[in-house]
Amino acid sequence: MSGAVTIRSALAVRPTARTLISRHAPWVAVAAAFAVLPLMFRSGTALTMMSLMGISIIFALSYNVLLGQTGMLSFGHAVYFGLGAYFAVHFMNAVATDGTPAPLPVVPLVGGLGGLVFAIAFGWVSTRRSGTAFAMISLGLAELVGSSALILRSFFGGEEGVTTDRTRLQQLFGLSFGQQIEVYYLIAAWCLLCMFLMYRFTRTPLGRMCNAVRDNAERAQFVGYNPQAVRFLAFCVSGFFAGVAGGLAAIHFEIANSAYFSATQSGNVLLATFIGGSGYFFGPIIGAVLVSYLQVMLSDVTEIWQLYFGLLFIVMVMFAPQGIAGLLMMHRPLWGKRKLAKVVAAYAIALPPALIMLAGAALSIEMTYRLSVKAAEGPGMTFFAVSFATDRALPWLTAALLMVGGFVLFRLTWPVIAAAWASAELRKEWAR
Amino acid sequence: MTTPALALSNICKRFGSTEVIRGVNLTVTPGERHAVIGPNGAGKSTLFNLISGLMKPDAGSIALKGDDITATAPWLINRRGLSRSFQVTNIFHRMSVWENVRAGALWAAGQRYAFWRDADKAREVATRTDRILADFDLADRRDAPAGILTYAEQRALEIAITVAGGADVILLDEPTAGMSRAETERVVGLIRRISESRTLVIVEHDMSVVFGLADRISVLVYGEVVACGTPAEIRSNPRVREAYLGEEPH
Amino acid sequence: MLELIIISTLNGVQYGMLLFLMASGLTLIFSMMGVLNFAHASFYMLGAFLGFQVTRWVGFWPALVVAPAAVGVIGALVERYGLRNVHRHGHVPELLFTFGLAYVIEEVVQMIWGKAPVDFRVPALLDFPAFTVFATNYPAYKLFMLLISISIFIALFVVLTRTRIGLIIQAALTHPHMVAHLGHNVPLVFMSVFGAGSALAAVAGVIAGPALVTQSNMAGLLGPILFVVVVVGGLGSLSGAFAASLLIGLVQTFAVSVNASMADIFGFMHFAPKAGSILGDLWTVTLAQIAPILPYLLLVMVLILKPTGLWGTRER
Repeated sequence: MSGAVTIRSALAVRPTARTLISRHAPWVAVAAAFAVLPLMFRSGTALTMMSLMGISIIFALSYNVLLGQTGMLSFGHAVYFGLGAYFAVHFMNAVATDGTPAPLPVVPLVGGLGGLVFAIAFGWVSTRRSGTAFAMISLGLAELVGSSALILRSFFGGEEGVTTDRTRLQQLFGLSFGQQIEVYYLIAAWCLLCMFLMYRFTRTPLGRMCNAVRDNAERAQFVGYNPQAVRFLAFCVSGFFAGVAGGLAAIHFEIANSAYFSATQSGNVLLATFIGGSGYFFGPIIGAVLVSYLQVMLSDVTEIWQLYFGLLFIVMVMFAPQGIAGLLMMHRPLWGKRKLAKVVAAYAIALPPALIMLAGAALSIEMTYRLSVKAAEGPGMTFFAVSFATDRALPWLTAALLMVGGFVLFRLTWPVIAAAWASAELRKEWAR
Repeated sequence: MTTPALALSNICKRFGSTEVIRGVNLTVTPGERHAVIGPNGAGKSTLFNLISGLMKPDAGSIALKGDDITATAPWLINRRGLSRSFQVTNIFHRMSVWENVRAGALWAAGQRYAFWRDADKAREVATRTDRILADFDLADRRDAPAGILTYAEQRALEIAITVAGGADVILLDEPTAGMSRAETERVVGLIRRISESRTLVIVEHDMSVVFGLADRISVLVYGEVVACGTPAEIRSNPRVREAYLGEEPH
Repeated sequence: MLELIIISTLNGVQYGMLLFLMASGLTLIFSMMGVLNFAHASFYMLGAFLGFQVTRWVGFWPALVVAPAAVGVIGALVERYGLRNVHRHGHVPELLFTFGLAYVIEEVVQMIWGKAPVDFRVPALLDFPAFTVFATNYPAYKLFMLLISISIFIALFVVLTRTRIGLIIQAALTHPHMVAHLGHNVPLVFMSVFGAGSALAAVAGVIAGPALVTQSNMAGLLGPILFVVVVVGGLGSLSGAFAASLLIGLVQTFAVSVNASMADIFGFMHFAPKAGSILGDLWTVTLAQIAPILPYLLLVMVLILKPTGLWGTRER
């Protein structure tokens, strides 16, 4: 998809058994992984986290249909996520009272339709502009919907939101989905389906033209395509899958409230997609998993984990805008030639100074935090099991030394890395 | 009298208070190779922009194969069979060369906005794309991202995208700009081949290309067509010589 | 009634001028560098908090100078060492960079000053009613805010149209490459404009801080409205930003003071949508309650009717 170079033999008339297997093998592997994971990580926290990851993956992939595939930056994607959740919750409540035979697995589809309906309405208005204006409009629309949530209380339930009970729907194969493991498998199944569908979408004519409009909307006009129409359709696809994610979230949390629309929600999916890498299909998957993990784990380690998150984002925008996926794929020529060892060794040498530098920075930040907001709790704190007081000079000097010293040493390792790459003697196949 | 492939009637265009195109009349017969030449700033690219729908004329009308296309959206004009290339290379730089050409062929092949089928499965589009890549000598670069091609290769790709859709009327805007003699000759041969059964309108500065390729030439000076005729007529036209300050075609 | 109109007009104009103080810096930066600074409202917030801190340490009047100057320097450094590096990656990464910056600034402000509002008080010198309109006192501080906004606006106008540096900036607004070829130090101009724009936002923060609530969510509340202002006015148009700021300022202020709902106006008709339904909600909601979302409704309307904005010309 998109910027990834795809090796393919289009002249093959019939796919051989080998290409069939290689094309479908990744999906089978992912399905198997999803099935097996809960057996490896059995705790309640792990199950919840994996469920959240599944939801985030769908949400991030839907976001990347806009960002990575069609080049549209949206700051308000949570709108469709939230609306999907609300539609799902109302549907579940209605079905539970009516007694309509609609089993729970159908609910995310309702969420998707909710997201789609509003994507059509809002998309028609938003896609009249592109680029920066589009981004600002998405922000404005997000505010509009978020604020409406408090006004239209009957639908949005005011500050408390709308709750539901997922076990009250008609049971499927005797499953009432009360247990987390059952919800996990539901989410995993939908995640697999959505991943597959969105991947297939990238390969359709519309999907390809999304890339074309991303790269050069002007030129796309001259090959017969209306760029606005392409963007609008991409927006609808994106809104649908965001709604599915919202529906699954509604099932998982059994509530839909205005937090689903929040700027944090929109911001997080943007961060996750970008950090994962918007140029490759699997990038947002990596980003969603990583961000979900960090959100749960980091918040136990430090109270200001969001600050670190934001700093990571800025660093990546500045130095690695291709994201984690892009960084990995950058090493692809090395895998093929088995020249990875030298480069990895260089990275291993660069790692300790980098870690020292980062530790110094983290220490300074944590100490500043302790001194300001946490001043009431006194100057004592611990950092990686070392206790000290922030009102002394020594910890500050240590932090400064670690930061500066670490940076200097880190800088010294850069030529080593460059040399390792050079010695990998990559014949630049594409550039002449 | 056959319907002209392209007919411009009294086209006027002004930017602010400057009249860039003043009353241009131009007729191109089907199958003709028509060159538009003129000094820099004469308005040649603007003329192309007006014809292809990127800009709206302030006055006058444009007809494509008899149908009025004045002030029509560029994609609609393209769907009716007119395709153009750009002076400054305008390709899809992150997509592969193969994808670039295929993008040019998708609509014409009826693929439209289909989001339910695999684009790779459309055999005709694939074979057509392969054929064009072979014609343009880009087959060995098919999987390279278009952005890293050499300048000449990108210019070739630019033209390849333009003809991929099989348009009847092709507008080429300075296709050989910045090319060496050898590259130019190759591209000219290419252009001659692809315009075999089509109508070609080409803007060019290289006189050898113009005189070697064109059936008829229009000379545009300060937004007006000062002369229109066969290469021999143009070569001996005193107004043309004057406009080019006595420049001899080389 | 007349009293309400006069007070609302005064408040509306004052709020609109505040918005313009920020929107002007934003528009200048956008026109010149092509990047919409997502962190602009964050600089406003930084101005408010730094103003608060300096007021605590020294006094309000020094804060009025020190805080914007400090934020201006921060802005210039951000441009020089951050934005300039990201520029080569394209417009989307630039916007993302400023988005990340806004995120981080909010976190830092929360880290240092906490999540609760801080007690940024109106300086004693200005804490009196300037005049009385019928029965309501109009605070002198608000008049002060209006005066500062207008004087800055006039100064901006004079600098841009009458001074040499202003001419260079105007030229660089539309033709940065040409200006560079003419020998002007365009990177320096960019850095100065970014710094000056940020300082403008900070001034707005310092003077708004005592009047509005100074809290770490300030940027998140005002930011979207600011962006609506520039989109409605037309991206890149200063006059559009001015008109849109006043428009939104007046509309919101007037709306807030109207506690009427559809039910109040049309209640005499003997039908009403069922309470507890969406129509019922819309029927009973007062104008004052929907005042916060009026700018966004205006945005949608403008998008449908004139997508490039009321004064907009260029599509960026």
